[in-house]
Amino acid sequence: MQYADYMALLPLMVLSAACAAVMLLIAARRHHGLTVLLTLTGLAASLAVFPVALRHTPIQVTALLTVDAYSLFFFVLILLATAATALLGHAYFHAWGGHREEFYLLLLIASLGACVLAMSRHFAAFFIGLEILSIALYALIAYPRRRSASVEAGLKYLVLAAGSAGFLLFGMALIYAEQGTLDFSALTGGLSHSGPPSLVLIAGLALVMVGVGFKLALVPFHMWTADVYQGAPAPVTAFIATVSKSAMVALLARLLAPLDLHAAPGLFNALAALAAASMVGGNLLALRQQSVKRLLAFSSIAHLGYVLVAMLAAGPAFVPAVMFYMTAYTISQLGAFGVIAVRSTQAAEADSLDTYHGLFYEHPWLAAVLTAMLLSLAGIPLTAGFIGKFYVITAGAQGRLWWLVITLVVTSGIGLFYYLRVVVALFSPAPAGQTLPTNASPAAFSGAVVLSVTTCLLVWLGCTPEFLVRLLQRAAP
Amino acid sequence: MIALFYIAAAVAVLATLMVITRAHAVHALLYLIVSLLAVALVFFLLGAPFAAALEVIVYAGAIMVLFVFVVMMLNLGAHSVKAQRQWLRPAIWIGPCLLAAVLLAELIYVLAALPAPAAAPVVVGPQAVGLALFGPYLLAVELASIMLLAGLVGAYHLARPEICGPTEGGT
Repeated sequence: MQYADYMALLPLMVLSAACAAVMLLIAARRHHGLTVLLTLTGLAASLAVFPVALRHTPIQVTALLTVDAYSLFFFVLILLATAATALLGHAYFHAWGGHREEFYLLLLIASLGACVLAMSRHFAAFFIGLEILSIALYALIAYPRRRSASVEAGLKYLVLAAGSAGFLLFGMALIYAEQGTLDFSALTGGLSHSGPPSLVLIAGLALVMVGVGFKLALVPFHMWTADVYQGAPAPVTAFIATVSKSAMVALLARLLAPLDLHAAPGLFNALAALAAASMVGGNLLALRQQSVKRLLAFSSIAHLGYVLVAMLAAGPAFVPAVMFYMTAYTISQLGAFGVIAVRSTQAAEADSLDTYHGLFYEHPWLAAVLTAMLLSLAGIPLTAGFIGKFYVITAGAQGRLWWLVITLVVTSGIGLFYYLRVVVALFSPAPAGQTLPTNASPAAFSGAVVLSVTTCLLVWLGCTPEFLVRLLQRAAP
Repeated sequence: MIALFYIAAAVAVLATLMVITRAHAVHALLYLIVSLLAVALVFFLLGAPFAAALEVIVYAGAIMVLFVFVVMMLNLGAHSVKAQRQWLRPAIWIGPCLLAAVLLAELIYVLAALPAPAAAPVVVGPQAVGLALFGPYLLAVELASIMLLAGLVGAYHLARPEICGPTEGGT
């Protein structure tokens, strides 16, 4: 490794150093506020050295990782979302008994795994990044280890993620057997030959897609989503919904971008079927949910279906559209789960839709934030979600994927119904005699920071997206 | 040579099937050890003697023996001697022993009858593995260490004995 390699990897190395620092701090002195502070400092330091890395891009660091503007964009997105999760965790765990500090250590490690995923260009790095993320997530999901719902969710995620990792590994082995290399370029080579691609390569790709589809919770690999979203503590749910999915989307876009999908119609049709099934399935399953977390879980399935439509378009607008959509989606999900996290107490997660009746009259700001986030997820104009959806539909139309675009528009219409159901609940009168629990500890300040920043970003990107769009067009590989 | 590979692979599949259908953890572990030994033999036949040795030492040796010990230690008590005698009835250990005997016969045949594993195009030795790991794949080794840290911290947190009272972590 040369000097430039180290410079390009500096953000990743600072992040690893932050993991070690937080671990040593916990060993020396257990203090919740101090751990949060050090975690945020580590994330900020990693972001601060990001311009140094940018100056040396694009560069391939060993066979495993590649550092370019595209991966650094996702790097920044992941770190900011992790910082927001840490702040939400501070608000959420403030009043808890027991050890809370390991939460932030696991969070940092998980974000490191996500960054490796976003930077990988080699199946070995892909698998290691995925496992770092998954192993940290098992423990994060089951973090409240006396709450049976969380432990059950963690166990469910452990078994299913391990199973999907098996599929992924077998797919990688088949691709390696066919192409003789684990580099992502093996796929480009294998699919661009004249004549149909070999059966082994297609089978390998299909198995890899099972692993990817599990992580993105695409239908029919979505079974874990609702239970895990509901059982995990709210900040962890926010992390799964944003960081884990963004990292996998970054990887999938890098994998698919150089491929000519029309050379492999079987693969194209399979991905199109996944996208359509996710859009329809996610939106229909969300319709009658009585739990806000489950509702958001099913809606996230649908959102990843929308992203897949843009990926299949393979036009010039494909990568910026995916990046914009993931940014808007991350902001909206962080805000929505932030409201849930701020309102949850040690006794109960603020999960049931009933506990949101009349929220507007007691906590108008919280209700306003949640309304804005839900409208963004639904794709209403003046929010970031609208621009994102518009961008995705444009990409789909450029790729002439009319059936997928029509499915997207129709299912978005269905989706509007359940988002508005929550909004209506917020503004309807509260049942008599019910007091709405809200975390009113001094740590609620950190939750308020996250909620106000995400709301401002949401409206800013919704009104003036030009800045980000121009940035993304330059960053796309 | 190909026949040897298929026999070893069949033993691995059979043993793994027995692992997931056994109701008792110790019985499942016995079969799991046989399964790992069979995989080691497959590695050996494919020309990776170093990977085969590691498979035996690390998985079948260290990790599985640890598992068996932990399972046995968890059941300490007056009834444990009787229970352990019950676990080790011939009906229990005869299956894994038969499968292991098949593997042993194969190994002896390979070592005695053939000058070198002929199915292998190249033999990958420990030096080549080390050079690859700490050369081009150095980052993978470093990242794997972070992965182990995640597993360690997670296991420590989830399995830590209760010290803070039953209120910890919610209802």
